[in-house]
Amino acid sequence: MGREGKGWNGRKSKKRGREEEEEFHYEEEFDQDDDSVQEGVPVAAKRDAEAAEEGASVVPDDEFGAKDYRPQMELRSDHESRPIWMAPNGHIFLEAFSPVYKHAHDFLIAIAEPLNRPEHIHEYKLTAYSLYAAVSVGLQTEDIIEYLTRLSKTTIPDGIMEFIRLCTLSYGKVKLVLKQNRYFVESSHPEVLQKLLKDPVIQECRLRHSDDEAFVESSITKTSGAAVLNSAFSTTNNPTSSTATAGNSNAINGNSGHTTENGGPSTNGESGPTLPSDITDYYSKIDADNDDEEEEKVVSFEVIQDKIEILQKRCIQQEYPLLAEYDFRNDTRNPDIHIDLKPSAILRPYQEKSLRKMFGNGRARSGVIVLPCGAGKSLTGVTAVCTVRKRAIVLCNSGVSVEQWKQQFKLWSTADDAIICRFTSDAKDKPMGCSILVTTYSMITHTQKRSWEAEQTMKWLQEQEWGIMLLDEVHSIPAKMFRRVLTMVQAHCKLGLTATLVREDDKIADLNFLIGPKLYEANWLELQKNGYIAKVQCAEVWNPMTPEFYREYLNSGISKKILLCVMNPAKFRTCQFLIRYHERRNDKIIVFSDNVYALKHYAMKLGKPFIYGPTSQQERLQILQNFKFNPKINTVFVSKVADTSFDLPEANVLIQISSQGGSRRQEAQRLGRILRAKKGAIAEEYNAFFYTLVSEDTIEMNYSRKRQRFLVNQGYSYKVITKLAGLEQEDLHYKSKEEQVQLIQQILAARDDAEDEERIPGEGRGAGPWGAFGRRSANLGSLSGADDAVYREYRKNANSANKHPLFKKFRQK
Amino acid sequence: MGVLEHFKECKTLLDYLRTLPADVIEELFGFPSPCLAIFRELPKLAQHYVLRILYVEQAVPQAVVASWVSQANVKEHTQAVEALNRIRVWNEASMPGGLPGWILHHLFRHNLKVALLGGGQPWTNTHNMDSSDPKARSIKDLDAYALERWEVMLHYLVEKPQKADSVSRDTITTLTHAGLMEQDANSYPTITNEGFQFLLLDTASQVWYFVCKYLETVRTRNLNLAECLNFLFSLSFGTLGKDYSSEGMSEPMLNFVQHLREFGLIYQRSRKAGRFYPTRLAVNLSSPSRKIHLDTDKHKTGFIVLETNFRLYAYTDSDLQLALVRMFTDFLYHFPNLVVGNVSRDSIRQALRNGISADQIISFLKMHVHPEMIKTSTTPNNPLPPTVVDQIRLWEMERNRLTFVDSVLYNQFLSQRDYEVVRDYAQDIGVLVHMNDQKRTVVVTKNGHDDVKKFWKRHSKNS
Repeated sequence: MGREGKGWNGRKSKKRGREEEEEFHYEEEFDQDDDSVQEGVPVAAKRDAEAAEEGASVVPDDEFGAKDYRPQMELRSDHESRPIWMAPNGHIFLEAFSPVYKHAHDFLIAIAEPLNRPEHIHEYKLTAYSLYAAVSVGLQTEDIIEYLTRLSKTTIPDGIMEFIRLCTLSYGKVKLVLKQNRYFVESSHPEVLQKLLKDPVIQECRLRHSDDEAFVESSITKTSGAAVLNSAFSTTNNPTSSTATAGNSNAINGNSGHTTENGGPSTNGESGPTLPSDITDYYSKIDADNDDEEEEKVVSFEVIQDKIEILQKRCIQQEYPLLAEYDFRNDTRNPDIHIDLKPSAILRPYQEKSLRKMFGNGRARSGVIVLPCGAGKSLTGVTAVCTVRKRAIVLCNSGVSVEQWKQQFKLWSTADDAIICRFTSDAKDKPMGCSILVTTYSMITHTQKRSWEAEQTMKWLQEQEWGIMLLDEVHSIPAKMFRRVLTMVQAHCKLGLTATLVREDDKIADLNFLIGPKLYEANWLELQKNGYIAKVQCAEVWNPMTPEFYREYLNSGISKKILLCVMNPAKFRTCQFLIRYHERRNDKIIVFSDNVYALKHYAMKLGKPFIYGPTSQQERLQILQNFKFNPKINTVFVSKVADTSFDLPEANVLIQISSQGGSRRQEAQRLGRILRAKKGAIAEEYNAFFYTLVSEDTIEMNYSRKRQRFLVNQGYSYKVITKLAGLEQEDLHYKSKEEQVQLIQQILAARDDAEDEERIPGEGRGAGPWGAFGRRSANLGSLSGADDAVYREYRKNANSANKHPLFKKFRQK
Repeated sequence: MGVLEHFKECKTLLDYLRTLPADVIEELFGFPSPCLAIFRELPKLAQHYVLRILYVEQAVPQAVVASWVSQANVKEHTQAVEALNRIRVWNEASMPGGLPGWILHHLFRHNLKVALLGGGQPWTNTHNMDSSDPKARSIKDLDAYALERWEVMLHYLVEKPQKADSVSRDTITTLTHAGLMEQDANSYPTITNEGFQFLLLDTASQVWYFVCKYLETVRTRNLNLAECLNFLFSLSFGTLGKDYSSEGMSEPMLNFVQHLREFGLIYQRSRKAGRFYPTRLAVNLSSPSRKIHLDTDKHKTGFIVLETNFRLYAYTDSDLQLALVRMFTDFLYHFPNLVVGNVSRDSIRQALRNGISADQIISFLKMHVHPEMIKTSTTPNNPLPPTVVDQIRLWEMERNRLTFVDSVLYNQFLSQRDYEVVRDYAQDIGVLVHMNDQKRTVVVTKNGHDDVKKFWKRHSKNS
């Protein structure tokens, strides 16, 4: 199988796992103008093991309709002690209860994408991207194949070996290094550079000082990444950091002297007698490789700065994508900034692990770190900044999170107001000469006229050579916007942070080539077990549609349908009941509704504060403060503006009354709002609750199933509740038929745009901010952030009469 | 009788015997081993009664028997009496003074004595054997054999293109008779809904059901039901791993032995071997808690891992097990010792359409759950992920959304007023099921029909 040229051409496999086949029609194929991005992906990355398999069509179905792999592989005699099965189409199944699980897991996470990780058996998939990531963190082709062979219960099919070779051989050979503000293309394989330089385009990019200049030869001492991290710790004088976990302290101890004695598994005391020793041996070998100090001969040539992008693109076409690395410790040109971690900042083991991947060879790699919401992404980011200790720029997607990042920096590091500055439309600190700049994507990419002050700042910003660029919520930014940011701001190293690397449009893969490969992805279930994030009980509450509502539902157009589902009186009553129930338990509750009409109606009927698009920044902060500290405000209604980066650490109950189609990402992010580990509630099995209210027999049921897929694959389970005990006893709204009929009249009378999904003013796609608030036809893909210019800053409205509608209502009385 | 109903009614041996005609039971009492088996199955109190009057050769007044228990335990007393009556272990007899009395069935009395105290003919011909079997079978061999035979039959049920040579004509007849398969003229027999349900049972229940059904057909094979039963009971008192002689058995009985051999209840090296071994399937047949634990590697552990994301992993290479799991799972990949599949709404609905109930699927999963899941589960008795279990039940429930109410339709009202009067009246007394103003139709419940009819008669008379 896998003969070259047979099925390699499909960009993405036509056929992914069968469970994924029913992708959402409405979220596919919308911005085709993004071809430029596609070009930026090497041909090798378009390879897909599954497509290859389809092309070869040699896999027979067995009598039960499954793909029969039995002829292609043989079971090994000691299969019971080995943890994985490797399918010829790149899917890998890993037994989580295997004694060598830890090793296998660490290895697989480096070379493959996790597809689902429930309790017992995990599924991964080898893709071109994941292999690219593996190579870029220093794994070699033969190592990958060798270790896979040792882990596997069966022999490995030839096709998949070929796939691995094809995808990895040309990757990771060439690096783009910024040294003393000069860009060099560097490689330890001179023949590769020779080959590249034969290309006329690349030749033009080369910066020659004299005609017959040969390569610059130099030798680099690679230092262990852990050593670098360690130095960051040691400045904190923190005694606990070195005792984090067995694995980490191993690495830390190991690198101070000789890495060869990196004890690895045997010291963990988990290697039972049944372990085949080759697995553990090899594991420690690979681990050691990673951290080794070694001297390496490299050759390099300098390139013209303006032509970097041409060069990058060309190299990708030549199948040698450039890896960006930053040798920050030898960078004397850029001044160090004075920032250290506070002694109180303690890294959790997984945070440390992810950073070790980033600083693996003593230099800073660019890439993306994936951690669930609430698992301490900001601390990871702050630590990265403290490690690099160069000028840093932080990009996030809203004004509120700008504030939160600033607070995080002050909380975890020695940075103070003097060196952190915010650059937003509201807060314009004096940015010149500061060390850490926090701003939003939209501030940078703003294309319209700016104030003089902002103009100056932008100019300054573009002139700077930034040490590290932190990209928060990196999944939500469209590729185009990225390219703009990345061309405007020069940074040596880019670190993307996100909770969910899923997008309904599958554009997530492009991030690999725009920022860098995925460096680390945490396992949600394990974090939950270890108490780093809250234990959440997810529940889907089914609400029967009343006959009147269902009749209208069947006879209405799609938008009205959605509104009717949300306004279903049974749902309202359930919501009210749940709020009452949890308020009695002194919980803090967030209620999400994407539908603004419903949001207002629910909130006003129940007398609770609410936040949505038009709510001003000031008022938002005020409501959030009250929610945090005022014991009388326990419930807040929010629209999708709060999906990301609203830090509400107190909230532990989330009720979702309407949502946006089948977006898996939104579901995960909303869950993230209550994931922050809760104190003191260890005794209970669950300490956070996530309710999704759906109306029975409506499209919501379908949506909700699709939305849950990501979390279900992370090991969460949704409990379906069809009847809430005690609901009937409570005195709730909309009990009588009259009230319900009245409600239906109201809904039907509501203007058409009321039923429309919310358009956050900032989200006006290119059309300009605020005012343009009408009904547009758009597909859900664009609502999920797939279009351009999604995260725009809220302009403070000149019309200050725009107070919170709740207060307005009271004033009118 | 369907599989489910069968287990509702024929839970125990006594229940089964009760369904037999009186003359068969009469005949059964002529052998010691059935008597002992029946005795063992009786309620404790009934056993006590039997022992107490075993040596009383005449009728005992019912009042006397009743006086043996205190007032507080009347319920147990009636149960015991009921059990004894039902299979006629004792019969009513009138005492000389006209008092009603009980008298033990004379054959039962005699043969139970034989069974308890010894004497009479030996039940099996162990003593006639000249030597021990040179090729004796270990218990493990027997278990493996029993399992293999049984699975051949189960596999025959689920196989797609029916290979007629794997099982005998007689088995097929029994299977069709039991309603597990059905056969049109000129076509291969195919599995029925009952058959699917049967497959999901545990082995012991399967054997029990199958044997009951088989016994229903013995008449047509010129076999004496009582003799067969007697043989089965004798077998069940046999010792596992010991060989018994088949000498001196009649021709039809030897035939019977061959059938049992095919089902795996008996092991016999060859038809003419002259000796046979009962297997665990036979030995456990009449024991009250029918649990069969075959001691083979294949079935030692459960093989199913069910994840919260509706993934199902089956650690097996047995075609039979895969065929069973396949009934409610969509398979994706097949590795040498593992099959990966998804439990989906469609796959469950497919199973439900085949007549399998959600409970059966769940109990099957529970029965075969992988030990790893039990180990990590917080509730070891219920190791399946509760959400998946709930969901399977919900999928079943969503098929049963319609409720039926017997009703009566009133239509063709001559005027709107008439219609309204009837409608309002029906509404007032709360029997209105449905109304349609445009078509002037009223539907009332069956119970309300009389009232409405009377009202309507009164109304039309008055107006």
